[in-house]
Amino acid sequence: MDTTGAGALIKALEDVGCEVIFGMPGGAILPAYDPLYDSKIRHVLVRHEQGAGHAAQGYAQATGRVGVCMATSGPGATNLVTPLADAYMDSVPIVAITGQVARSMIGTDAFQEADIRSITLPITKHSFQVHDPADIPRVIAEAFTLASTGRPGPVLVDLPKDVLATATTYTPPKLATPSRPVLSPVQVRNAAQLIGSSKRPVFYVGGGVIRSGAAQELRRLAEKTGIPVVTTLMARGAFPDSHPLHLGMPGMHGTVPAVAALQRADLLIALGTRFDDRVTGLLPEFAPHAAVIHADIDPAEISKNRKADVGIVGDCRDVMAALSAVITRKTDLTDWWNYLGGLRTTYPLGYDWPADGMLAPQYVIERISKLTGPEAIYTAGVGQHQMWAAQYVKYERPGSFINSGGAGTMGFAVPAAMGAQAGAPDRTVWAIDGDGCFQMTNQELATCAAEGIPIKVAIINNGNLGMVRQWQTLFYEGRYSNTRLGTHERHPDFVKLADALGCVGLRCASQSEVDGTILEAMAVRDRPVVVDFVVGQDAQVWPMVAAGTGNDEIMAARGIRPLFDEEE
Amino acid sequence: MTRHSLSLLLRNEPGALARIVVLFSSRGVDVESLSLAPAEQGDLSRLDVVVDLQAGRTVVQLIKQLGRIVDVKNVVDRTHDEVLELGA
Ligand SMILES: Cc1ncc(C[n+]2csc(CCOP(=O)(O)OP(=O)(O)O)c2C)c(N)n1
Ligand SMILES: [Mg+2]
Repeated sequence: MDTTGAGALIKALEDVGCEVIFGMPGGAILPAYDPLYDSKIRHVLVRHEQGAGHAAQGYAQATGRVGVCMATSGPGATNLVTPLADAYMDSVPIVAITGQVARSMIGTDAFQEADIRSITLPITKHSFQVHDPADIPRVIAEAFTLASTGRPGPVLVDLPKDVLATATTYTPPKLATPSRPVLSPVQVRNAAQLIGSSKRPVFYVGGGVIRSGAAQELRRLAEKTGIPVVTTLMARGAFPDSHPLHLGMPGMHGTVPAVAALQRADLLIALGTRFDDRVTGLLPEFAPHAAVIHADIDPAEISKNRKADVGIVGDCRDVMAALSAVITRKTDLTDWWNYLGGLRTTYPLGYDWPADGMLAPQYVIERISKLTGPEAIYTAGVGQHQMWAAQYVKYERPGSFINSGGAGTMGFAVPAAMGAQAGAPDRTVWAIDGDGCFQMTNQELATCAAEGIPIKVAIINNGNLGMVRQWQTLFYEGRYSNTRLGTHERHPDFVKLADALGCVGLRCASQSEVDGTILEAMAVRDRPVVVDFVVGQDAQVWPMVAAGTGNDEIMAARGIRPLFDEEE
Repeated sequence: MTRHSLSLLLRNEPGALARIVVLFSSRGVDVESLSLAPAEQGDLSRLDVVVDLQAGRTVVQLIKQLGRIVDVKNVVDRTHDEVLELGA
């Protein structure tokens, strides 16, 4: 088929199954937008390229497919840097397509030239710059395969303008059949043996279990063995919150029983997780009595932070299926469960209502979860509201919580929700956002309104950069340097802002109105909705393991250290 | 600090060397010496590099991180070969 580089690009994207692109045109990428005009691929015109990148991430995580974003050269491309870093940290399969100045101009500081490949080297799994239009279909196919196989991640395809404009013949790309690592039977047997002889084992489950689609296998294995499960921030939903074997989230703001399970375990069965410092606390004090089985698709993660006694390189789904096949009987974990069950009863997640009579933010999130249910998709920004969204929304299925875990990118919630909703139009999508985060990316609500993407946004408006303020309360003697946002004084007025962006704007400031407001938001189906939940500024996220301390020092609430006290 | 001598085979693709060098700088690996030459086989290059690792970082970890770079075909730890050569 005779075409141009640009025509080949769009045709190749169609052939690899791309159904939506989030992007913004500009000089260098303009040739690609011409064939896109006639394509069956939907293009969502964002208001800022960062939004395109996070939308691609949201789409990828909601659908399990590769998300695609597109930008022009120079500033368009550099605006994608944050989402690429975010996708790299959280192993999200996205392909970013950027325009570049013409080949002859590269390296001359041409108008809107930025060496985006070099800029993104440490935050992309791989990148291409195409110099021959005939290579475009193959490169697109390779980019999709690289992004979605092995440990998923972001791939950049940089396309000089003249390459897009040059005539070429289209040859359909061949999609490589992904090969999965073959498990070592010896390691699987060693793992099964450790599991069989342990008295205090725990499944330490990370985001890799969601990426590999292994929630079913996890449930089967957990039920077969009766071993307790903890799910990290990236793994919320990988195991049902309602399941009696589930102890909740471990880590800096994890539940007391989940943190205790890791600290007191004699065996960690770590699945698709990377011993992140937000989970381990001070590494030398992490799970001091535990042997470690570590299964991950990325060999470089095994023994990176904590030495594994048994390392298994493989897809989590295969690993768990193999373990299920060799493990035949349940070990007696009565003592272990008695201990953990006691903690679960004594230290459930809980919160106080603010003394000043304002709304408790945790209550708002709890009610959204209750009234919307587990079939919805929830996204979050970064801060206190994110932790409360991880703690107080009850997740029952994988892919229902989409947030920025590794990078902690403020502003993630709204564009990620837009991408998730574009990929899953039949699900309700709630962005649980902070009043600070929301002001970083809310312009994408204009995109949502114009494109008919009816997301729902709950702004947890505590008037502050709440998480930073919490640290100032705890570690800087209440010296609140530069954390007040003025959002309680309506700078801006979120309801008016929502209205101006083409959304329905609602406000709720009292407990008695919470349910009614949520139901009102749920009833809107033709437009995005923004609810300004005005909540107290002093609510804090508990439990907490202070940064730089060991997990044994977990505080259930300020000054209450259940594990530390238990040792005395 | 521990010193290691590595030998890499990489595809002769634009950006392959940059990706390796950036990995060294992002992960705090100190490069003592580095040399790149065409390899005998196919369209590959051979990179010989001597690195110093911070306390607590292992060469096995570094080799695995290098190994996940798409254009890196092979990484060999030659630290002990050198010791042998010196001893001979
Ligand atoms: C882009 C970016 N800048 C700064 C930070 C540091 N930071 C982490 S949480 C936070 C406060 C977020 O405030 P808000 O969105 O209101 O959430 P809250 O903690 O109040 O729920 C800040 C500034 C960050 N994570 N990301
Ligand atoms: Mg806030």
